[in-house]
Amino acid sequence: MIPARRVVALLLVLQIVSTGYVWTVNAIGTLNQARFAVFLAVNLLSFSIVTYIYTHDKWEEAISRGWILAAALGLALLLLSSLYFS
Amino acid sequence: MTETSGRRARLAAWLDTRLGLTYPLLRPAPRYSINPFYWLGALTVVAFLIQGITGIMMMLYYVPSPADAFTSTQYIFQSVYYGRFLQTVHLYTAYAMIMLAFMHMMRGYFVSVHKKPRELMWIVGMIMGFVTLGFGFTGYLLPWTVVSKSATDVGVGIIDALPGRISSFLSFLIVGAGGDATELLRFYDLHVVVLPSVLLVLLIVKMYMLEAHGIAEPTTGPPIDQKASRSLPIFPDVTFYLLGLAAMFGSAMLLISAVFPLSLPPEYSPQLAAQFTAQPDWYFLWIYQILKIAAFEGAGLPVALGLVTVIFVALIALPFIDRGHSRRIGERPIFVTIGLIFVGELFLLAYWGLESPGQVIPTDSAAWLVVAIALLVGDCSFALYTVMGTRSVPRPGPEEVSKTQGRFRTALAFVLLLSGGAIAIGASLNAIVSVVLYGTSTSGLVQLGLSTTFLGIVVFSTVFLMYRMELAGASLKRRLDWLEIGWSVNDSR
Repeated sequence: MIPARRVVALLLVLQIVSTGYVWTVNAIGTLNQARFAVFLAVNLLSFSIVTYIYTHDKWEEAISRGWILAAALGLALLLLSSLYFS
Repeated sequence: MTETSGRRARLAAWLDTRLGLTYPLLRPAPRYSINPFYWLGALTVVAFLIQGITGIMMMLYYVPSPADAFTSTQYIFQSVYYGRFLQTVHLYTAYAMIMLAFMHMMRGYFVSVHKKPRELMWIVGMIMGFVTLGFGFTGYLLPWTVVSKSATDVGVGIIDALPGRISSFLSFLIVGAGGDATELLRFYDLHVVVLPSVLLVLLIVKMYMLEAHGIAEPTTGPPIDQKASRSLPIFPDVTFYLLGLAAMFGSAMLLISAVFPLSLPPEYSPQLAAQFTAQPDWYFLWIYQILKIAAFEGAGLPVALGLVTVIFVALIALPFIDRGHSRRIGERPIFVTIGLIFVGELFLLAYWGLESPGQVIPTDSAAWLVVAIALLVGDCSFALYTVMGTRSVPRPGPEEVSKTQGRFRTALAFVLLLSGGAIAIGASLNAIVSVVLYGTSTSGLVQLGLSTTFLGIVVFSTVFLMYRMELAGASLKRRLDWLEIGWSVNDSR
C-alpha cells in the first residue's frame, strides 16, 4: 500500500519549489528558457500525479505502485535533464 | 396540413435526438469514460487552448506585413522574454493538436461513434478537423521564412487548378489582389480571427451534443447501460481527472520544446526561394505526394484534387455510408479493414513525400506501392479477423449459387490469378533486369520488392485455391462445381 498522502505532500513541496525556481529564471537565453520549460513540466507532472492519487483515492480504487514509480522516474529524469541545460 | 405538421414533428424529433436540444446538461459521467482514449478530443481542445495563449502572446509583437513579418518573428525569437520558448511550444502544440485530432477521428471511426444518434457530432467533428488543418496551412506562412512561403505558394498555386468560380472565390478569400502584402494579411486574419471563431462555435455545438448524448459506450465486453453507469460527478471527479491528463500532456509538450528548441530558417526572398525545393509540413505531405504522381501532373491536377475531395467528402458522409447497426469492431471487418488501409496509405504517402521532395513520381511505382500496401494491410486485417475476431460470432454459410454461376466464378478466379501472376512475373523480371543493368537504386529495389511480394501473394492464392479444391484428394470434379471459396452450388437451381 502506497502512503498516498505522504506522496501528495512531497509533490506539493516539489511544486512550490519548482514554481519558486521558475520565478527566478532569467528568461532570455535559450538554455534558460529550456530550463524554465523543464521546471514547468516538473510542476505539471507533479500536479498530474496528485490528481491521479486524489481521484483513485476518492473512487476507492487501488493506486498503482507502477504508475507512481513511473511518474517518480519521469520527475527524476526531468530534474536531471535540467542539469543538461545549465 | 396535418401531413405537413407530421413532417415537422418528425424533423423536430430527429433534430432533438441528434442535437439533444431538450436534454439535461452536466450530468455525471459514466465510469467507463475514465480512460485516456476517451479524452483525445478533450486533449485536442487543451492543445487549442495552449495555441490560443501562446498565439496571443506572440501577437503582441508580430507584424503581418512582408517587410516586417520575418523581422518581428526574429525579434520574438531573440529579444522577447520566453520568445523562443513560446514559438517552440506554439509549433509543437500545433503538431500535437493535428495528431490528436487525427487519432480522435480514427478512434471514432474504429469504434463507430458516427452511428445513431451521433451522426451530426461526427460531421461537426470532421469540419473541426478541416478547420484545424486550416490553422496549420494559414499559420505556416506567418514567419515569412523561405521554407514557409515556398510551401504556401505551392498550396496557393493549386487553387488555380480548381474549377473557375471556386478558384476565383478562394483566390479572393486567401490571396486577394495586392500580392504578398494582402496574402500575408489575409492568412493572418484567417489564422487569428476567422478560424478560431469558427472553431469555437463548432466546439460549443459539439460539446453540447456530447453532453446530450454522453460518451459512446465501449464496444468490447458486455453491453453497458450508459444512464445506469453515470456515477462520476463532473466536478470534482471528472474535472480533476481531465486536468491531470491535460497536465501530463502539457508536461510532455514542455519537455519536447526544451529538448528540441525551434530554429528559424532564413527570410523569404524570391532569389533564395528559387534555390529551394518547396515541401509542405508533414500533415499535408500525403496530399503533396498524390499531386506529384506523374499522371496528375499538368492537366491531371484536377483529377488529383477531385480524388482528395472524394476522400474528404467520404469522411464527412461516413454516417450515411457505414449504416450497419453494430458498433463492435469484431463485427465490422470491411469498414475496419478500409480504415486500416486508409491509415497505412496516409503514412506511406506522407513518408514517401518526405523522402522525395520535388520529385515527380512515376505512375506505375505509385500504383504498385499503393496497391501493395492495400493488399498487405487488407490481408493482415482479414487474417486477424479469421484467427481472432469472428470466431465467436456465428457466420453465415457459403452463398448459394447455381452450377453455371459456380463454374463462372471458378473460371474467373483462375483467370484473375493467372493474369495477376503474368503481370507479377513480368514486373519482377523487369525489376531484376533494371537492377542488373543500372545497378541497385532505391526505386529499383522497391519495385523488385513489391513485384516479388505481389508474385508471392498470387502464388499463395493459387495454392490456397487449389488446396480448397482438393486436387490431391482426387475430388477435383466435385470441387470444381462447388468451390468452397465463398459460394456453394445449389444443384436444384
